[in-house]
Amino acid sequence: MEHKIYLFGLNHKTAEVEIREKFALTGFNPISQKLVEKEGPVLEALVLSTCNRVEILCVGLSEQHLVREKVMDTWAGFCQADPDLLSSHIYTSTDRDAVRHLFSVAASLDSMVLGEPQILGQLKDAYRKAVEEHSTGVIINRMLHKSFSSAKRTRTETAVSSSAVSISYAAVELAKKIFGELSLHRAMLIGAGEMAELAALHLLNNGLKEILVANRTLERARELAHRFKGQPLCLEDLFKYLPQADIVISSTGSSSAIIRARDLSEVLKKRKHRPMFFIDIAVPRDIDPDVNQLDNVYLYDIDDLQEVVEENLAGRKEEARKAEKIVDQEVDKFEKWLSSLDLSPTIVDLLNKGEAIARKEVKKSLRNLPQEVDPKTIQILEHLAVSLVGKLYHEPIVFLKRRAQEEGSAEKFIDLARKIFNLDEEQIPENAHTEKKRK
Amino acid sequence: MISFRILDLIIALLYLSGAVSFLAGLIYSRKRVQDVSVCLTLTGFVLHTADLGLKYALGLGEVLTQSQFYISLLAWTFLLIFLLLWWRLKLKFLSLIAAPLALLIFTWSLAISPATLPIPGLLQGLWFGLHIGSLFISIALLAMAFGAGLAYLHLDRKIKSKSRMGNVTRDLPSLSTFDRVNHWAVLVGFPLFTIGTLAGFIWAAFTWKTIFSWDPKEIFTVAIWFIFAWLFHKRATGGWKGKKPAKLAILIFVLSLASFVGINFFTETHHSLSPDGTQDIPFRPQS
Repeated sequence: MEHKIYLFGLNHKTAEVEIREKFALTGFNPISQKLVEKEGPVLEALVLSTCNRVEILCVGLSEQHLVREKVMDTWAGFCQADPDLLSSHIYTSTDRDAVRHLFSVAASLDSMVLGEPQILGQLKDAYRKAVEEHSTGVIINRMLHKSFSSAKRTRTETAVSSSAVSISYAAVELAKKIFGELSLHRAMLIGAGEMAELAALHLLNNGLKEILVANRTLERARELAHRFKGQPLCLEDLFKYLPQADIVISSTGSSSAIIRARDLSEVLKKRKHRPMFFIDIAVPRDIDPDVNQLDNVYLYDIDDLQEVVEENLAGRKEEARKAEKIVDQEVDKFEKWLSSLDLSPTIVDLLNKGEAIARKEVKKSLRNLPQEVDPKTIQILEHLAVSLVGKLYHEPIVFLKRRAQEEGSAEKFIDLARKIFNLDEEQIPENAHTEKKRK
Repeated sequence: MISFRILDLIIALLYLSGAVSFLAGLIYSRKRVQDVSVCLTLTGFVLHTADLGLKYALGLGEVLTQSQFYISLLAWTFLLIFLLLWWRLKLKFLSLIAAPLALLIFTWSLAISPATLPIPGLLQGLWFGLHIGSLFISIALLAMAFGAGLAYLHLDRKIKSKSRMGNVTRDLPSLSTFDRVNHWAVLVGFPLFTIGTLAGFIWAAFTWKTIFSWDPKEIFTVAIWFIFAWLFHKRATGGWKGKKPAKLAILIFVLSLASFVGINFFTETHHSLSPDGTQDIPFRPQS
C-alpha cells in the first residue's frame, strides 16, 4: 500500500483547555497553508476543531515521519506555537486505528458527554468545509460518509444518545412520560433562573401549548413572558392560575415553601384530578416535598433530576459498549473497501478527478436553482453526480486491474489511462494538432 | 373437519409466536420486532375471523350450542378490542396482555370437547346474542384496562419513587395513555356490561320463566356490577383519574375472570361450559 491514513489530534482527555485553545485550528485551510500538496507527503486532509478536540485526519505517503513532521510544522506554524509542545500532547493513530477513531468520534463515543449529538454536526460542517477547500479526496470522502452512516446506525440500534443527560432535558423527558404529547398542556414558570428558563424553553421546543410566567413583579413577568410568548401573571395570583398549569417549574429565591400539599387539594379538585408535574429547581426548595405523596402529583427537585441524569449517563456507558461493536463492524467494512481499491495511484487519481468534476458540476447546477434549495435536494444532486462518476469509471478501473492480474504488468495501460483522462494535468498547447498537420 | 384442526393449529401458532416475539421485542427494546409481532397476531386474528365465520356458516345453528365456539369467540373479542385500541391510541404495548390471553383462551377452546348448551329459541336468540356479545366486549375492554392498569401502577411507582427506569420502562407509553385506556374501558365497558347482564336476565326470563335464580354466577355478576357502577360513577362525574381507577379495573377484571373460569367450570350453574358438567341436568328454576 502506498498511501496511509493518519490521524493526529488532541482532545479533552489528553490536553488541558489551555493547550486546546492554543492549538485550535479554526479557519485553518489545508490548501492555502500548504499542508496538502500534490507531491505529498500529505495528499488529503480534514481538520476538525471544536472546543473539546482538535484533530487532523489525513491521507499521506507511507513514510510516517515525513507526514508527521509536515503536519506538526504546519499546525504549530499556524498557531504560532512551539511544535515540541504540540508533539508532547498529541496522539497519533494510523490506518485501521485512525478509521476506528474517526468512527468513534462521529458516533460520539469519544465525547466528553457520551452520546451527545453535536459532534456529528460539527464533523459534518468540517467535512463540508474541507470539500469546499478541495482538500479531501476519494479516501477521506468515503471515510467520512461511512462515519456518518455508522453514527446513524449506533444511534438507531443502541440507546447511547436516547436518555437525557442534562437537568432540563431530564425534566422534559419526565413530562413526556407523564403527559405523552405536550401539545395539549400548559406549563407555569415561577421565578426565573438559567436552568428554569432552559427547561421552559425545552418544553416549548417539544410542542408545549403555552407557558404562564409568574413573578414577584408583573413587570418582570411581562419581560420573561415576552421571551417565551407566554402569559404574564403576578405571584399573588399564583393559586388563581395554578389549576391551568399541568407542569410547574419553580425557581424563586423564597426562603420558605410557596406551594404546600394542603394548598393543592383545592387546585386538584378544580383540575378534576388531571395529573400535575412539579419541577423544583430552587434552593432552598419552593415546593413542599409532601406534594409528591398526593395522587396524580409528581414532584422532582434539583437533586432528583441530578440523580436521573447520573443514572442516564451510566446507562449510556452500557449502551456505548454495544455501539462500539457496531463501529467495529463498520470499520471492517471500510477496510474491505480500502483493500479492494488497489491503491495504485492511478485509480485514486482517476476517482479523485472524477469526484472533483462531479462536485464542480453540482456547484454550477446549484447556482441555476432557486436560492432556497432544501439540503435534501443538494444531497441528492451530489449523490447523483458522484455515483455517476463512480459508475462511469468503474469499467476502466476493472480493466486496469484485470490487465495487472493477467499480464503481470499494466504499465502501458496505466500510462494510457493517465493520458486519456489527463491525470497529470499537463497543459496541452492549443495548436498542438495544427503543428502536426503542417509537418 | 381435519382442515379446521389444521387452521386452528395455525391460528394458535400465530398467537404463540405473536405473544413470544412481542415479549422479546419489549425486553430487548426492538421496535421492529414488536411491529412484526403485532403483524403475526393480526394475521392470526384474520384467520381466526375466517375460522369462526366458516364454522358458523357451515354448522350454522349447531355451533352456537357448543361452548368451544363461545370460548373461541371470547379470544377473538380480546384481540378485536386490542386492535381497536392499537389503531386509535397507537398502543402496541397492550399486545403484551392481549396476545397471551387470546392464545390461552383459544388453546383452551381447542382442548375441551364440544359441550352443548341449552339451545336458545329463535326469539331468545337475540337476547342471548346481546348477552354474550356485550359481555364479551366489556370483558375484553376490562382485560385491556387490566393490562394498562398494571403498566400504569408500575410506571407511576417508578416516577414517584424516582427510581431508575430500565429499558422496558423507558419504552412504555405515557401515564396519560394508560389512563385513557382505562377511561374508554370504563365509559364504554360499563354500559355494555349492564346491557349484557340485563339481556341475560331477560333471556333467562324467556327460557326459564324466571329472572333471578340465585345462581352463583348471577350473584357474583351482580356484585361485580356494583363495583363497576361505582367506578363508572367516580370516573364519569367525580373526576377520578390515575391510580384508583387503575386498581379498581384490575380488581373487576380479576373478579370477572374468576367468575368466568371458576364458576362456569367448577360449580353447579346454568352457565356451565364444562363438558362433563351440569348441562345434562335440566335446569330447574326455583319457583
